[in-house]
Amino acid sequence: MSLKHNRGALVRFAAIAAVAALALAGCTSTASGAGGSSSSGPIAKEDLVLVASVINTTNPYFIANIEGAKALSKKLDIPLEIIDSQGSSQTEISKIQAILAQGKKVVMFVNTVASSDTPTIVDAVKRAGGYVSIWWNKPDNFEPWDSGDNFVAFQKHPGVDSGRCNAQAIGDALGGKGNVIMFPGVQDSTTSQTRVAGFEAEMRENYPGIKILENQPSNWDPQLANQNAKDLIAKYGDQINGVWSADDGMQLGAIQAFDDAGLLDKVKFASDGLYPDTVALMEKGYGNNAIVGETFHRGYMASAIGLYTAYLAATGEIVPSELPKEKRTSFFDIKCVTPETLGDYLKYDTPTAAADFVDQLVEKGPWDTEPATLIGGGGPEVLPKP
Amino acid sequence: MVHKVLSEQGAGGITTTAIRIRESGIERRARFRGLAEPLSLLVALAVLISVFSLLNERFLTASNIQNVLTQSAIPLIVAVGATLVILLGSIDLSVEGVMGATGMTWILLSNNSRGGADLGPWAWVIALGVALLLGVASGLIFTALKVPSFIVTLGMWYVGLGIATMLYGTDLLPRLEDEGLKGWTSRISFGLPNSFWVALLVIGLGILVLRSTRIGRVTLAIGNSETIVRSAGLPAFPVKVAVFAIAAVLSGLGGILATVQLDIGSPTVGSGVLFIVIPAVVIGGTHLAGGKGGILRTVLGVFLLTILNNGLILSGVESSYQSAVTGAILVAAIVFAAWSQRDRLRVAK
Amino acid sequence: MSDVTTTPAVLHLNNVSKSFGSNRAVRGVSLSIQSGEVIGLIGENGAGKSTLLKILSGNYRHDEGTIAVNGREVQFRGPADALRVGIGVVHQEQSLFTNLTIAENIEVNTPIGRGGVNRLGLYNWRRLYADAAQALDLIGSHLNPKTRVSDLSFVDRQMVEIARAIRVSAASHTTPLVILDEPTAILERTETAILEREISKLRDIGSVIFVSHRLDEVMRICDRVVVMRDGELIADRAVDDVTEEELFRLMVGRETHAAVRSRRSIDPANSPVISIHDLTRAGSYADVSIDAYPGRILAILGTSGSGRESVARAIFGAEGFDSGSVSVAGYSGRQLSIKKAVALGVGYVPAERKTEGMVGEMPADQNITLTHPGSAALGPFELPRRRLSLARAWFEKLDIRPREPEHMLQDFSGGNQQKVVLAKWLNSAHLKALVLDHPLRGLDPGAAETVNAQIRSVCDEGTAIILIPDTIDEALDIADDIVVMRDGRISGVFDLGHDNPATLDLLERML
Repeated sequence: MSLKHNRGALVRFAAIAAVAALALAGCTSTASGAGGSSSSGPIAKEDLVLVASVINTTNPYFIANIEGAKALSKKLDIPLEIIDSQGSSQTEISKIQAILAQGKKVVMFVNTVASSDTPTIVDAVKRAGGYVSIWWNKPDNFEPWDSGDNFVAFQKHPGVDSGRCNAQAIGDALGGKGNVIMFPGVQDSTTSQTRVAGFEAEMRENYPGIKILENQPSNWDPQLANQNAKDLIAKYGDQINGVWSADDGMQLGAIQAFDDAGLLDKVKFASDGLYPDTVALMEKGYGNNAIVGETFHRGYMASAIGLYTAYLAATGEIVPSELPKEKRTSFFDIKCVTPETLGDYLKYDTPTAAADFVDQLVEKGPWDTEPATLIGGGGPEVLPKP
Repeated sequence: MVHKVLSEQGAGGITTTAIRIRESGIERRARFRGLAEPLSLLVALAVLISVFSLLNERFLTASNIQNVLTQSAIPLIVAVGATLVILLGSIDLSVEGVMGATGMTWILLSNNSRGGADLGPWAWVIALGVALLLGVASGLIFTALKVPSFIVTLGMWYVGLGIATMLYGTDLLPRLEDEGLKGWTSRISFGLPNSFWVALLVIGLGILVLRSTRIGRVTLAIGNSETIVRSAGLPAFPVKVAVFAIAAVLSGLGGILATVQLDIGSPTVGSGVLFIVIPAVVIGGTHLAGGKGGILRTVLGVFLLTILNNGLILSGVESSYQSAVTGAILVAAIVFAAWSQRDRLRVAK
Repeated sequence: MSDVTTTPAVLHLNNVSKSFGSNRAVRGVSLSIQSGEVIGLIGENGAGKSTLLKILSGNYRHDEGTIAVNGREVQFRGPADALRVGIGVVHQEQSLFTNLTIAENIEVNTPIGRGGVNRLGLYNWRRLYADAAQALDLIGSHLNPKTRVSDLSFVDRQMVEIARAIRVSAASHTTPLVILDEPTAILERTETAILEREISKLRDIGSVIFVSHRLDEVMRICDRVVVMRDGELIADRAVDDVTEEELFRLMVGRETHAAVRSRRSIDPANSPVISIHDLTRAGSYADVSIDAYPGRILAILGTSGSGRESVARAIFGAEGFDSGSVSVAGYSGRQLSIKKAVALGVGYVPAERKTEGMVGEMPADQNITLTHPGSAALGPFELPRRRLSLARAWFEKLDIRPREPEHMLQDFSGGNQQKVVLAKWLNSAHLKALVLDHPLRGLDPGAAETVNAQIRSVCDEGTAIILIPDTIDEALDIADDIVVMRDGRISGVFDLGHDNPATLDLLERML
């Protein structure tokens, strides 16, 4: 008994010691690379490693992130490491620090779990002399140009556009009249907030006949969206004409609830992301063409653009401090998809799509590759005035 | 042989009547206490229901009641297992992981959009087999190696999630293609949703096991004192493993039903269930230390929580306040339900 | 005993030994018990009684010697084996599942396919209740088998334990041997009387080993007494051939010295330390007024339904009351909290020592300084070395054994634990009153004497003592004042300075 206990304690102690040693190694080995805002000049390609950090490995969007990173790794012939944050900021940061502690020069893409993770990650990468692009989430007042060249860029698809795009689809499908319910993601997520703001502003400005009954944040969780949808169906019954979700995962949950209630034929849906499952449903015309609008963007494009931007900075092909602000805080185009235009986008889901996109990317640079071209930026996304 | 005969002197006659009086007193007190605890929970439930029905007339419609029953079905099934485990004085945190692993195994072996094998009923058998294995593993590690169940099942949670994630791979979401099963959980048969019928069956079996079988009775006994169980020569070890296995299979069943309900396979299909189930068991009045409580009380606890969530949405409480309001009402309900057990020297841990 | 030789003994031990490491707990015990015999087993704490019982109940395996039941040699691999041959042990620490019904506790070992458990393992509750009621009836108890054990008093729980022991042997068709391990240690006087009658009934269906600290009881109930000391069986006497004094000497190895206490009446110049007035708690007690004076021991007598424990707990603030007042050392408030009571200099030694009186998983010395750090404290800190020397002093003074205050308190025997609990309060520099709830419960006579001596000396230093004694004799032995309670009301007050109540007087007022 006591031996067993002791051994357990020993293993635990060893694990803690190892982590501590790694963390310490991370600090000391990187201290030499720390040189204020200046980076230590171009790095040879052989010394580089690509790192892609995603929130989890089960959501189709993040799976696509990994796909894009793999394609770029193959194209550039640089090894790749994937970080699965398992939905936790703590896991994300500790795994990133462990990789930095190995002493390689990193070219990193991080789809941050929470906005507040960004400064910590940027700081760690900077001290290790690596280069990082952040996607989707960062604090509004923390800009790349404030932290030198190692924080190469912050990039995203504008949420306001996404929301407006969905609002138009639902508004038009309902003929400008009807009641809508909304399923935002995690309530304090910037991505969700901007999409909600875009959706509401578009409805307010251009579809005065449409009333938003209620919004019920559903944490990007299909199961929760499914339950909330059931409750709202119980509350409003057939008063609901349209349903908006902040991403396709939640939309799948919501569609299931309306299907169960036998209301699917009478309700229109719109959401963000055009997941492969959504494509399948739209192609089938499921539920009397229930899905009327989607926005199109792909995870592999995001990771490829982010990694490639950081790679260019690492190899000295671009000098971040000399770039205009919209190329440091950048918005990429997001396409509105309707059942009619769906066909145009199927080519981006073929097995070679990621490799094809990377080919284009290397040829045209990070800001001019269709369909994800640079459309603006230079600061935080401006929310429409209520 | 020398026999000492005790004379029925002095005290004898008086004490006999004293005993009779005391014996009847014991019964009266016990009967009152048996009623008082569930009663306060029922009152809390009734108050909640009447407040919500005043706030929104749709709350008490047939369709919303069916909706609440559908939503409570999966937590109910899982909570029956959790109650048994907590009656042992242990805890099972692996619920969500087991749900994920089982749900994923099941959908990948059923008719789904990824193709692959469609094993029909065997998919159920194999998937529940996975759950059983996880449960037996937890139970064995817990009993044989004497690792606290809290840690073992916490680990098993992640093992389950890991299995689900590995099975899931990097392919598309597996969607259920079987038209007969799609939406089956919320379809109504004989006035109640199918999933709720399943829950009723599980509750019935759970009560039978707890009330009238050796496993159930020894479970209660272990919760009271495992030392006494062992010194009475009762099978403590097998019963503990069996209870963890039962709990895991019920979690697995919940995982499959959740997958059917959502129509999509997802490793996180069980997310949030643990935080309904454990509080529901505790609110129901089952002691975390084990030995005291029951399944019907847990059922009340699950209803309380499900109705709370549903009612808050229906009565239009601003979503940003919902979690705070839920928490406050929960604490109030627990205080109310536990009022009868209060005592100056009672220690809560 | 001429007929004995023809039938084999119910239990026969031959040279049984058991060691734990170098400690030989039981050494070469040989003992024979005939059907219908009641054997008393006595010995000080640590004499090896418990170990011997655990061997008989199958919890320990003996190292040497043989055990034969009804002439056949047996090897117990576990408690179930012992039960199967008809040996039922009623433990000192109760071994009932308090959360289950009486019936279930009695029927807990019913094998599948027998009695109330059908072949599928399902319980037939009606059958279980009927069987349990029958077992209870055998020993003359009319408790409802559906009652939960947690609702029972100690004596009723003992009944259930005895019923269970009998039930098991009835199921296996053997003559039961019931071992009662200090069944009366925690019982009220009247309850003991009932238990004694039940034991004499057991004589008709089997045999009994009766372990007790109360020599008078042993003398009354048993046919034969065996004495253990230091792991050995040193005497085996028929009760008619021995006296209580002799047994005490055999057990302890020294003579009794019954100190006679000189008593005075209450000095009118003194004012009471604790004064309760018309104290009432619905359903428990009513209109209780008691004054406790410095330097006097006040014993409260009563049966288990008298409410005396509740009154004692109210004085310490551990239970609330509905009306009336409690004033302690001049402070008088509606409700007293434990914290306030401690601050006022009241100490409380609870009956439930293990759960309320001590922290078992803490060294003894820390237990002593828990409430009143005394000289071990330096500002908010405690100095371990000073604490240890303080504890050593108490260990010496109260003869706490072994003299190792750095050991966990749970590892000490019951009597020594009780002394540590006492020391915890005595360590207070300003102890004004001490409430003792069954302080001698479960203690052997030697330990009881030390504790009593200490109580007296504290009292002589000017502390007021309120005592809930186990027995009337205990009260008559040590108290200056006796208050008798019956059904929640005071039925008699005696100042032993001038009153001289007989045991019967007191008993009458209790019942």
